[in-house]
Amino acid sequence: MRFRTQIANASTFAKLTASLSSLGKTCWMRLEEGFIRFTIIPDQGTQVWAQLPVDAIFEESTYILESNTGYINLEVSVDVLHRALRSAVAAKLSHIRLTKKGNLPLLALTIRTTSWSNAPNALGLPPDTSTTTTTTTTTPTTATNPPTPTTQPAPRPPRTRNAVEGLHQPRCRDPDVHIMLPSLLQLKSISERYTKLATESKTMAAGATTSTSTSASGPKLEISANMHGSLKLAIVGDAFSISTVWSDLLNPSLDHTGLDQEAVERLPSERMRGVAADDEKGWAKVRVDGKDWSKVLSVGRLNPRVIASFIHETALVLYVFLPGSWNDEESCLTYYINSYSI
Amino acid sequence: MTTLSFSLAPKAIYQLHDALMCLSKFDDSVAIEAEFDLLRLSVLNSTKTAYSAFAFEADSFFESYSFGVAMGGSSSRTTNPNKFSCQVLIKALVSAFKGRTSGRDKDTSVERCEVELQESPEDVECRLIIRMICGLGVIKLYKLAYESIYVQHATFDRSKSTNTWCIDPKYLKEITDHFGPSAEQLDVFSDHGKVVFTSFTTKISDGKEILRQPVHTSVAIDKTDFDYYLAEDRLHVVIYLKDFKAAIAHADTVDSMITARFTRPCRPLQFAYEFEGVRAEYTLMTRGEAPMDGTPSSSRAVAPQLSARQTPAPVQASQRNTAPDTRQMPPPPRSRSVRPLTGSTRASQSNAESGSHAESHAESHTEAHTESQRPPQPSMEFDSLFVPADDDRQWDVPNEEDEAPAEDELGWDATGEQTSMGPGLRDTEPGLAETSHEEEEMRIPPTQRMSQLHGLGLFD
Repeated sequence: MRFRTQIANASTFAKLTASLSSLGKTCWMRLEEGFIRFTIIPDQGTQVWAQLPVDAIFEESTYILESNTGYINLEVSVDVLHRALRSAVAAKLSHIRLTKKGNLPLLALTIRTTSWSNAPNALGLPPDTSTTTTTTTTTPTTATNPPTPTTQPAPRPPRTRNAVEGLHQPRCRDPDVHIMLPSLLQLKSISERYTKLATESKTMAAGATTSTSTSASGPKLEISANMHGSLKLAIVGDAFSISTVWSDLLNPSLDHTGLDQEAVERLPSERMRGVAADDEKGWAKVRVDGKDWSKVLSVGRLNPRVIASFIHETALVLYVFLPGSWNDEESCLTYYINSYSI
Repeated sequence: MTTLSFSLAPKAIYQLHDALMCLSKFDDSVAIEAEFDLLRLSVLNSTKTAYSAFAFEADSFFESYSFGVAMGGSSSRTTNPNKFSCQVLIKALVSAFKGRTSGRDKDTSVERCEVELQESPEDVECRLIIRMICGLGVIKLYKLAYESIYVQHATFDRSKSTNTWCIDPKYLKEITDHFGPSAEQLDVFSDHGKVVFTSFTTKISDGKEILRQPVHTSVAIDKTDFDYYLAEDRLHVVIYLKDFKAAIAHADTVDSMITARFTRPCRPLQFAYEFEGVRAEYTLMTRGEAPMDGTPSSSRAVAPQLSARQTPAPVQASQRNTAPDTRQMPPPPRSRSVRPLTGSTRASQSNAESGSHAESHAESHTEAHTESQRPPQPSMEFDSLFVPADDDRQWDVPNEEDEAPAEDELGWDATGEQTSMGPGLRDTEPGLAETSHEEEEMRIPPTQRMSQLHGLGLFD
């Protein structure tokens, strides 16, 4: 098993891990030829399935993956990885590789930043200088600019095959409404404001309308949308009921290849499109936990485009497309958020 | 009776505040020592592994400074009558010397600060009085209670330090930015023109919790980034990251080059810098491994501890590289192994006596012996921060004969007096010199004198 590559886009990688780390402590990372997948399945809350082409974060020409199965599954402590990657953001050159210390598999990051002083290093570094710690300082330097290597191995064991093969993406029925979300920053700040209001209001135990909710006690936000470009964010308490409505949003048409005209017309979203804009029936609604929603929205740091698919009273699926990969289905983070019942 | 009063300009107030904030990272209370030409604030942390001191020059740091002692007045408090020392909670001082941030209202910002010690027989209360004179006639008055203490200092002989480097602290700060939040310790060494700073923890992690394994972070920088780097290569020195961060953070705020001096691992390391009439020193106990050391893990595994200069901690029993000039035959240990050799009846009598007295004097007995019978350190792990002045010399010349005496020394209850009293045979029990008069009265006499051992062929 061998994996090593140069990190091409450390800031994207760091932001990605930052968004992931808000949702879960450990992340499953599946390295394949051409793709990298990140999966977070927390005990409770939102699942994330992210698939990125190798060149989104790594330098494809340096991407070395050797495995009998053609892929490597790793379990990673995602906040540790994020912490390490933060050092790489300003770096000149960073490498990541799978290494081993005893029986402990590690991911080692070697980060080379420009040295502060510009004194020429005529001698250069001997290749592959090993230190006594678990780290490795790297490769010869150029003669002019001595780099600063930083190495941060983040522990991560390859998963046993059984555990990983059992993982599968959630399956759910065709969405009722799909809509492009407005600016995540705006959405996040309003959501958090609502959540805060509800939390402060002691009378509200479980968000939406009553205090009899069986699930977690955090305030629940009601998010709803129709196929006429409207998105509504609302919270209802004993003492208040507030909502924000966005209009003129885009309802993208989905890729219907493989479906005949009749089948397309039978899709719930097309049915919803037929309902009048002012009709209450045209809205699909989900209830999400305010705090969890806020964590999900932290993906906004990647500056993505987000399409939300509403499955009425069941789930909300967010398709997060990284910038530069618009309409490129290969690079997509998928968030599965369950709806709370009342 | 001691008189102490000084006044500070606003800039000095901020500097004092910054120093206090730095000191507060070591422990809760700060020792204040006033001398004729300086005021010293120092903190020795509770585990005695780190000592931090700021010395403020009377002439340059203060607007005015006056210190006086009436002879004999407060001599009971300190051994040095030309000194006043006390201890104050740092929190209390910090709230008085607020930092820059508190100057929101410009009209009433601090214009001057006057500090006075109230310690005369006529006064009902002894207090440290801080008067902050602000704009618009506002005066903030703080009366702080203090505690008279005997201040312990970590000694560090700069002339004996063999390794030193100097660097702009902002580089070090950048290095620590890369370290994870769980990092506890810092290993510094150099190799091939690079200086490597590695943060790690020795926290034991459960084998199953593989993802909780601590993260190592190494940052290698070029030696050319240093102002100068004159230290031995591959010499691993390990200190606590928290102490390191405290030192460089303050050095960075005052924008002063920081100098590190050390001799070898398991000996103290000192960070020092000076600025505008202030001398800052941080003496930190180190762990680590020497380049030739074949078993690095053993020296890393045990936490070092400092002890006071006045009451040296046990020097480790199996110290090896004793140089010829300081080496001496060890005085006979007060251990069983010697007694059969002497065969003296008096010795056994006094032993019996000590046994019979042991019950009635149980308490005093243990007390008297704590000095000398502190459990010797396991072996080779660390030494006190308060190293005797001449100590470094014994590491200079490796002596091939060292192995044999080291074995002989094993039985010796290794108190610090052994080295502090100089070479030569001594006819005193170690520990006696250190005990107070009270203790001596209660003390059980030594079982045997050195002089009695002559002629037995062992120590002649």
